[in-house]
Amino acid sequence: MASTKQPPPVGGVPSGAVLVLGGGVAGVQSSLDLTELGFKVYLVEKSGAIGGVMARLDKTFPTNDCSLCILAPKLVEAGRDPNIHILTKSELVSLTGEPGNFTAVVRKEPRFIDEEACTGCGQCTLYCLKQIGDDYNEHLATSKAAHIDYSQAVPTSYYIDAKACLRLNYETCGLCAVACQAGAIRFDQKEEEVELRVGAVVLAPGFGRVGEEVLRHYGWGKYEDVLTAFEHERLMCASGPTGGEIVRPSDEKHPKKIAFLQCIGSRDETCGNNYCSSVCCMYAIKQASLAREHDAQAEITLFYMDVRTHGKGFDAARERAIAEGNFRVVYGRPAKVEDVFDGRLLLTWADDAGRHNYEKFDLVVLSQGLESPPDAEQLSRACRIDLNPYQFAATDTYTPLATSRPGVFVIGAFQGPKDIPDSVTQAGGVAGLCSGLLARGRASETVRAEFPAERDIAGEEPRVGVFVCHCGINIGGVVDVRAVRDYAKTLPNVVYATDNLYSCSQDTQQHLVEIIDKHRLNRVVVAACTPRTHEPLFQATLRDAGLNRSLFEMANIRDQCSWVHMHEPAAATDKAKDAVRMAVAKARHLTALAEQQLPVTPSALVVGGGLAGLTAALSIAEQGYETTLVERERSLGGRVQLLTADRHGHDPREELKELVTRVEKHPRITVCAESKVAGVSGYVGNFTTTIDRAGQESLVVNHGVTVLATGGNAYVPGQYLYGTSPRVMTQLELEHRLGAPRPLAKGIRQVVMIQCVGSRGEDLAYCSRVCCGQALKNALRLKRMDPELAITVLYRDMRAYGFLEDDYRAARELGVIFSRYRPGEPPQVTQGRGKSSPVTVTYFDPLLDESVAVAADLLVLSVGIVPEDPKELARMLKVPVTADNFFLEAHVKLRPVDLPVDGVYVCGLAHAPKGMDETIAQAQAAAGRACQPLARGSITPEPIVSHVDPEKCIGCGACETFCPYKAIAIYKENKGRKAKTISASCKGCGVCAARCPTMAIDMGRFTLEGIRAQIYAFGEG
Amino acid sequence: MTEPYNPKILGFLCNWCCYTAADSAGVGRYQYPPNLRVIRIMCTGRLDPSFPLEGLAGGADAIFVGGCHPGECHYQDGNYHALVSAALVHETLARLGVNRERFLIDWASAAEGPNFVKIITRFTKRAAELGPLGENEGLDPAALRQRLAEAAEFARGRKIRTGLLNAAKEMMKGGDFKRDTIASLVHAKCDKTLAELVGGGAGRGEG
Ligand code: FES
Repeated sequence: MASTKQPPPVGGVPSGAVLVLGGGVAGVQSSLDLTELGFKVYLVEKSGAIGGVMARLDKTFPTNDCSLCILAPKLVEAGRDPNIHILTKSELVSLTGEPGNFTAVVRKEPRFIDEEACTGCGQCTLYCLKQIGDDYNEHLATSKAAHIDYSQAVPTSYYIDAKACLRLNYETCGLCAVACQAGAIRFDQKEEEVELRVGAVVLAPGFGRVGEEVLRHYGWGKYEDVLTAFEHERLMCASGPTGGEIVRPSDEKHPKKIAFLQCIGSRDETCGNNYCSSVCCMYAIKQASLAREHDAQAEITLFYMDVRTHGKGFDAARERAIAEGNFRVVYGRPAKVEDVFDGRLLLTWADDAGRHNYEKFDLVVLSQGLESPPDAEQLSRACRIDLNPYQFAATDTYTPLATSRPGVFVIGAFQGPKDIPDSVTQAGGVAGLCSGLLARGRASETVRAEFPAERDIAGEEPRVGVFVCHCGINIGGVVDVRAVRDYAKTLPNVVYATDNLYSCSQDTQQHLVEIIDKHRLNRVVVAACTPRTHEPLFQATLRDAGLNRSLFEMANIRDQCSWVHMHEPAAATDKAKDAVRMAVAKARHLTALAEQQLPVTPSALVVGGGLAGLTAALSIAEQGYETTLVERERSLGGRVQLLTADRHGHDPREELKELVTRVEKHPRITVCAESKVAGVSGYVGNFTTTIDRAGQESLVVNHGVTVLATGGNAYVPGQYLYGTSPRVMTQLELEHRLGAPRPLAKGIRQVVMIQCVGSRGEDLAYCSRVCCGQALKNALRLKRMDPELAITVLYRDMRAYGFLEDDYRAARELGVIFSRYRPGEPPQVTQGRGKSSPVTVTYFDPLLDESVAVAADLLVLSVGIVPEDPKELARMLKVPVTADNFFLEAHVKLRPVDLPVDGVYVCGLAHAPKGMDETIAQAQAAAGRACQPLARGSITPEPIVSHVDPEKCIGCGACETFCPYKAIAIYKENKGRKAKTISASCKGCGVCAARCPTMAIDMGRFTLEGIRAQIYAFGEG
Repeated sequence: MTEPYNPKILGFLCNWCCYTAADSAGVGRYQYPPNLRVIRIMCTGRLDPSFPLEGLAGGADAIFVGGCHPGECHYQDGNYHALVSAALVHETLARLGVNRERFLIDWASAAEGPNFVKIITRFTKRAAELGPLGENEGLDPAALRQRLAEAAEFARGRKIRTGLLNAAKEMMKGGDFKRDTIASLVHAKCDKTLAELVGGGAGRGEG
């Protein structure tokens, strides 16, 4: 809907460029998505490097993936993309004009080091006399006035802190200029103002942090061993100030008792932040798990008000972490931290029953909340956009990514506190929206990436280079990386071997190019993480070095080695050596393979006509591509039709109706109602789908991409007398009544709501995310209708994340009673005297410390969400589903709407439970991502196809029979018959090779020789 | 009690399911014994029957092949073809007197890291119990490995492969992908030829 409310650009063709403000993960991802869609990007970053907060994190929840490892490839990609112009140390001053045609004025502070000339050698830092606090390391370490934020920073150029530099301030020193061999120091650089013409603006400035006054209240700044979570994060990190040792700042001893305090500056009226920061519950669990990895004996306690792990798979991850890490979880909020003069810190708190508790700890970690960015006001003035009362960008439920000014969008934490997957999702969504708004300007300002000509290596002896990665401590903490490197040097044809702290960083990539050149390498082996995620990055680097990308092989010594043998360093090191030996053996047999380009059918198929599917279809159509929308029911709209109000009191059905009309009227959208996908074949760029239509002939459509938006349903409860007593209903049924003219029957005085019915370990293993918000919304509606009404909400954790916390507070202020029940002790519901008399709800009240019975005139069950059965579609498209029957995305953090099969995307409830605004943003993201192959116009599949040796082929036709893609065919030649691969159709499975009676068929990269070499190399261990 | 034997295990994992499961086991930090070495293939359908035999000949005590669940192969029916190759491997092992448990083909979907860990943990334990190749069988290891190498060569021969592809054709035609059905198809098509390997002096296969 946001996509449509933006007026079209006035007067002629819109600009094909977009300004993205903020170089954190949201800004970087949207930049990459935008260039893929054919737009030029000006990426404006306030600090000296892109990467944002994610670059400072050690690990990420819930997978404990190394944060920089998954981010660095994106930073590198952004750094080398010719269509992304990165402006660091820059801010937006003003924005004038109209959507499609804005003029942005950007002020760029000098770096005092020439970005182009700087080689990143670090001599300037070495010679710089002026020490400054190291901001990247939360001031737990020192840096110099001439510095780089962190070694993997993009751009890989140093810069000078103008406030600290002796030369700039006192005209003394200037040693760096003497030391710099490249002559890159420029003391005379001046501030500049640049004018940029862009069609749209994306605001991704990230978040600010809760102020120091709040932290001081908890002893931070006064007691050394009170740390913020951001500081603690740096302590845990291998590249941090202590090299990854968690030690107390006061005595450098390992803390034996650690407390994590939640909601510091969040959910706290006194500091003006009533909202929930939405990420701290998760990062605290992550930090606790890592603290456990560092010390198996430490006592770790987490203090929670509510445990809000409502994201996909988060509850399961939390439960596992708590069980495995043996953490103590306390529901309570210590009011302050005191020093008791024995080097320890005293915490006092009241538990659920109001009893006072106190205990001493060695280290206290404050889960510091998120605030709007410090420059929010300046930004709102510069862009003329509205802010909400908490100074975040004001947005609407139905246009979650649009600010109050057309053509200016907002993503990431500035739109409201959120985690990485949600930020990345929004990044994809905003790219889709810009692409719709500026469709006619597509490809008008972009250039194609160019690679140097490929070096012909045929006939050369293999010269293998081996690069072994420490991956911070992810590998290096277990595997003896240097021993592996030295071992690699002894292997045949290896002419070069080295180790890197992070192989995927931009400077390492540049280094790789230089080394390939210098040592005339013609095969490259990287021993690091998994080829599934990182191979493309290294292959791009190979191309930069003039090598064919097929001359590359990875040894997986992290995901399948150091991470799974954490307690057996010697065995893991042996395994890593074996993996390297096998990879080198294969690499020696690799050959350069020709690339092919396949055309893409420029259209999409969207399955599901609910809010997600409608939004996705409309966005794709607006981006300029034909779309077929398949809906099972007769009418479009899905489950939103069951809602009667959103939390602001608007009727979502009104918005939905408008959306349906737009979809039905759109010239590029074909709606197939009462239809079902009967079969799918093909692959990204070239899918063919058969659609069965009720009462009509089935339809066959060709399309380039597929979006799955199959939605979900309300869980149907069998518990709590549902279906037996007319007094018991679900929130949706209540919602329906509340939309009717006379919602409540007379005599209803007491309402009870029960949360997590079906969810969180009952029939459904997961948290359904929206039920807490829905209960609050309906409780408020009831209260506003009848203030006398008594309402009790029985809950496990009120998951009123983000601004929903306002509703939670409002409900309590209006007198709604909230009482926590424990998972083992759910409320009991018994029938009243008559069949339709009030039911009795009995629950344990922790505050009274006893069982309480209430006669409920109305019992409302907050039931979970069950996804539509995905199995059939999953089978047809060969995409995986989770144990909970949601589609499984390619990467939970960084590819949240892509499925592992190229060209297939997911959004809405089919992905996981989520609210309307989140569904819309995700559908826009799926649409944005889906249009990438369409905008590119062609795909270059990996050259792993089969080929037939005509000398050996006897024309038996077995391969033709077995090929699932009809990618191999028999042709007549002179007297005989021979097989031949149709490369464009071959997907490289290798069945033909395994079945060929004369072994006449071989596969690209997975050759018989190569695999046999791996087998032999295995045996040599 | 003596230290349990530390078996050498070679695995062939398909890119889309089992290899991904292995990665996700890592992401989840599920721990398992460090005995497995992995060769990534795009699909278990790529598995040439000679690969496992060659692996055993080359020093493995046990071989694991991991793919997608039946019906979920990323390329449709690659894992059924893998079952055909696997049947021949088992058939060959039986003839050479090698315990059939030294070769395992099993499935784990991309989302099943824990399942992968369970399979590998169990298999490693079993392989440790079986001990070094040949020991449990009461065969001279060096001679056995020699015979396995010959068997691998034999599996690359035209005659046995023709039998295999005929078995595969019948499997596709019959549409019954149960392991024993496939095994009996392979037995029917390859038994006679296999006799050449063991009966008439091993290693004289064509190829
Ligand atoms: S792709 Fe996994 S078995 Fe075929």
